[in-house]
Parts: sequence; structure tokens; C-alpha cells
Amino acid sequence: MTRLSAAYGPVAAALVAIVAILVWFLPSYYTGLLTLIGIYALVTIGLNVFMGYAGQVSLGQAAFVGIGAYTSAVLSVKLHVTPWLGAIAGACAAALVAYALSFIVLRLRENLLALATLALGIVINVVFNEWEFIGGSSGFKGIPGFTLGSFTFDERAYAILAWVLVAIGIWFAGNLVQSTYGRTLVAVSAGELGAQAIGVNSETLRRQAFVLSAVYAGIAGAVYASSFTYIDPSSFGFLLSVNFVLMSVIGGLRSLWGAVIGATIVVALGQVLQTVIPVVLPGARGDFQSFFLGVILVVMLILLPRGLTSRFAASGS
Amino acid sequence: MAALWQYILGGVVDGAIFALVAAGFVLIYQVTGIINLAQGEFVMIGGMTAASLTAGGMPLIPAAAIAVVVSAAAGALAYLLAIRPARNATPLTLLFITLGVDVALRGLALFVWGTNPYSLAPFSSGNAIVLFGGALPPQALWVLGTDVLVFGALYVFLRRTTMGTAVRAAVANPPIASTFGIPLRTFAFASFVVAAAIGGLGGVVVTPIPGVEYDAGLTYGLAGFVAAVLGGLDSLPGALVGGFTLGIVEHVAAGLLSPGWDQGIAFFILLLVLVVRPQGLFGRAARRA
Repeated sequence: MTRLSAAYGPVAAALVAIVAILVWFLPSYYTGLLTLIGIYALVTIGLNVFMGYAGQVSLGQAAFVGIGAYTSAVLSVKLHVTPWLGAIAGACAAALVAYALSFIVLRLRENLLALATLALGIVINVVFNEWEFIGGSSGFKGIPGFTLGSFTFDERAYAILAWVLVAIGIWFAGNLVQSTYGRTLVAVSAGELGAQAIGVNSETLRRQAFVLSAVYAGIAGAVYASSFTYIDPSSFGFLLSVNFVLMSVIGGLRSLWGAVIGATIVVALGQVLQTVIPVVLPGARGDFQSFFLGVILVVMLILLPRGLTSRFAASGS
Repeated sequence: MAALWQYILGGVVDGAIFALVAAGFVLIYQVTGIINLAQGEFVMIGGMTAASLTAGGMPLIPAAAIAVVVSAAAGALAYLLAIRPARNATPLTLLFITLGVDVALRGLALFVWGTNPYSLAPFSSGNAIVLFGGALPPQALWVLGTDVLVFGALYVFLRRTTMGTAVRAAVANPPIASTFGIPLRTFAFASFVVAAAIGGLGGVVVTPIPGVEYDAGLTYGLAGFVAAVLGGLDSLPGALVGGFTLGIVEHVAAGLLSPGWDQGIAFFILLLVLVVRPQGLFGRAARRA
């Protein structure tokens, strides 16, 4: 684990290379899944900095993905701005909202912080639903794709783009958590009073981690909007936030690779269950899978509360 | 003005069910310190069981009794299989576990009942009750009556019986209560069973009004815990007041703005309460940590 974590950059680059090769062999359906895993992994990396390293909790992360997606979609559809700028604007918008909200929600800790972030996730989703300017409940269609010169991104390009962003995200977060800054974050999660006693400004630190997680989510949202060309409020609801928690917990809250592993497992498991369940239990609908996702979350938390990657770390040392 | 009064009456009906869900939250939170995000699913299970049994031809009373038992059993299983094995975990881990239970129960309901909405006939026939020019469905009296029954029974139990006093002792100071032989684990188990039974009963009595489907638990659960936080999370009278306040504010706001805003308003209130007065309207102490 220590060796792997010291090599965030190279390993991430290798992942991109693998994805770049895979997309030429996979059927288009699986390429789409690969893109989705990348997008989710990006959100979860940011979430792990906030939840795992800084020791906080967010049950409303899907809202920031939505803000990134809507910002980019509105700019590119209504003002014909290139999605590249849209993604940057999406990240900025998510960061701005997170910064403003941090003064409200980050006054709370643990259980109450969980409830407050859950609440803001739902309030933001209601705004998506009710604001006619951004399409209301029927959402936004025909979101333009990313372009590079005269090349308009296709499925393969989106998968590669998503994983390049994962690589950059993991490289950045990896450097961050190994720096003095990251160790201070961990100090805050270990005991906020103690951290304050040695001169850590925990309030600022928690706020920065929150904003950073929103930036990751915002960028992911913008890529989501352009690659799927269609968004609506239900894409960014409470259940997506729950899925991010699931990815975080399965992979291991305090692990950046855990975010990638968690996202991969949750998406893959969803696919496997969707095909296996109707075969094993005739008459059961594919979406019965959520039962298993819930059970897996519970079992993971009981047996391995620090996630799959904690196992590797234990056996490696 | 007449419209406003009608919104308020509608809010009272919703508030009555929110208060029941909130009572379950408060019971579990007081006894175990756990915020049970799965609480709303018990309402759904109660409503779904009663509705599907009566649809199969069973008379209402046995169907309702079975529905409450099934909900209580779901609560018991949730505690034994998910909570007890992790009872030494951090509060956040336990919160995530209840989130997992919530997702699992909803998935199970989807498997058992599918996506079709179910309905239940009102318990008593008759016209809407007209009150100062506003109308209440007759079923609303059943829901309000259940509130009286449940909160009354909880009050008598907690204040007038030896066992209830033991529960209050366990809430006030678990370690000392434990040295006096008070069985904390049994109480924790019982709190889940009773909270689930209350939720199930609420589901049975409320279902004739809006109907029920497999994902109804999420809405009840979210509204219920807003009500609970509003009331202070550790206060049963708070749950009652919180439930009705939320129901009324939500209905009035939705009526004056647009129906889609009600949940947004509910959670805006939650945010406001958490920030301005985290101990809620009736809570005992600030609970920042």
C-alpha cells in the first residue's frame, strides 16, 4: 500500500493507458460503462478526501455533480460555450456553492452534518426540478459534446477523457494527502480539539476539503452531461449520493485507489446483478439489485469498516 | 383565506403521520444514539403489507395486525443482523449501516410487491368532515387517533411504569443504569422493534389517503427525521410538535408556491433548524459534537 500510494502519478498514468487500449476492443456498451466508472471514481476521490482524510461526511454529493452538469449544459446549449470551458465553469459553480454552504453546514459534525448534507442535496435537487430555465423536471437535451480541433468526442474519447481526469485527480489528491496539508487533515479527523491545540485551523481546513470535493464532483458532472448528452434532476438525486457513499465505503474511505476500486465494484456489481438476478430468481426485476447493494454496504461496514483497501494494507505490511 | 385554512388542514393530516415516524426516530435515538435512516421503510412495509393482504381478500383488522407484526419483525431483523454486529462502531459507521438497511428494505419491497402502487379502502365510509369551511377526509381521524394512542401509550409507559422508568434511566446514563442491572442491549433491541411497529401502524392508517408503493418509505423517512430534528431528536413531545409543524408549513408553502417545492421547503427548514437551533425546539442541550 505504501509503495502503491507513493506512485500515484505513474500508476494513474498506467490506468489511462489500459483504458486507452481497452476501448478499442470493448463493445460500445462497455465503453460507456468505463466512462461511467471513471466519472463516479472522480467524484469518489474528492469525497474520500473530505470523508476519509478530513473525517467528515457528505450524503449530498450528487448535488455538486448536478451543479457541474447543469452549469456546463446551460452554458453550452444556451450560450454555445465550448464544454471545456463549461467543465471549468461547472467546477467553479460547484466550488462556489460548496463554499457558500460550508458556512452553514460545516458548523455541524458527524450525525448532524450527515443530515444537513442530505438536506442540502435534496433542496438543490428540488431547485433543479422546479427551475424552468434549466428545463425543470424534463431536464436538458442535446448537450453538445467535447471537441478537439475538428474532432468531436465519441464514446472511446469520453472513456479516455474520464480516466485522464481520474488520473489527474488521483495524482493531485495523492500529492495533497501526502503533504503536510494532508497530514493536518488527518489530524483534524483524529481529533479536532487536539488539532486545534497544536495550531491547526480546522474550520478552514474542513471548508477547503469540502470545496475540493465539490470541484471533483463538478468536473465529473460536466463530463457526464456532455457524454450522455441528456440530464434531468432524477439523475442527481439522493440515491446517487447513497451510491457515492457506497463506493467510498467499499473501497475504503481513507484511500484514493479505494475510490477507483469502489466505483468499479459498484458499477460492475450493478451490471452483474442485473443479468444474474432474473436468471436465478425468475420474475425478479433487475432493479432488485438495490437490495444486494444495501446488504453489501451493511456487511462491508460490519466486517471491514475501513474498506477493501484496508485489507491490502494489512497484508502488505 | 379559505384556501389557506384548507392547506393547514391538509398539513395536519400529513403532520400526524410525520409525527409517528418522528416518534420512531426519537425512540431509537434516545435509547441507542443511532440515527436510523431506515425508519420510513417501516411505514412503507406496514402500508404495503396491509394493502396487499386486503387486496387478496383478507378483512382489514387481521391484515392490519399482520402488517404491524411484519414491520416489527423487519425492525427486529434490521437490529439483529445489521446493528448489533456493529454496535461498537463509530456513530457514522452506524449511520451508514442504517442507510444500507434502508436501501436493502426498499429493494426487498420491490422484489415482493413490484412497482405497482397499492391502495387501501378507508376504514370508515362517510363524507368528508367539514370544519370551519375546510374539508378533512374521514380517514384523517384514524391517523390523528393513532397519534393520540401511540403518544399516549408511550407517555404512560415511560412515566407511569417501572419498566418505563428503567428505560429513562438507561437513556439518562447508560453506564450507571447498566451497573444497576438494566439490560441496555435488550432495550436497544426493543427500541427498534417498537419504532418499527409504530411506523408499520402509521403505514396502515395513512395508506388509505395517498396510497403506497415500494419507494414511499424514502419520503416518509425524510419527512419524519426533519420532524424529529425540528423537535429536538431526543424529545417525544418534540416529535409530535415537529411533525405537525412540518406538515402544516410544507402544505402551506406548497399551496402558496407550487406543489413541487414541499420537499425543498421541508429540508430548508431542516437546514435552518440545524444551524440556528441544533438542539431543536424541545431538545435538552446543544449537540454540536
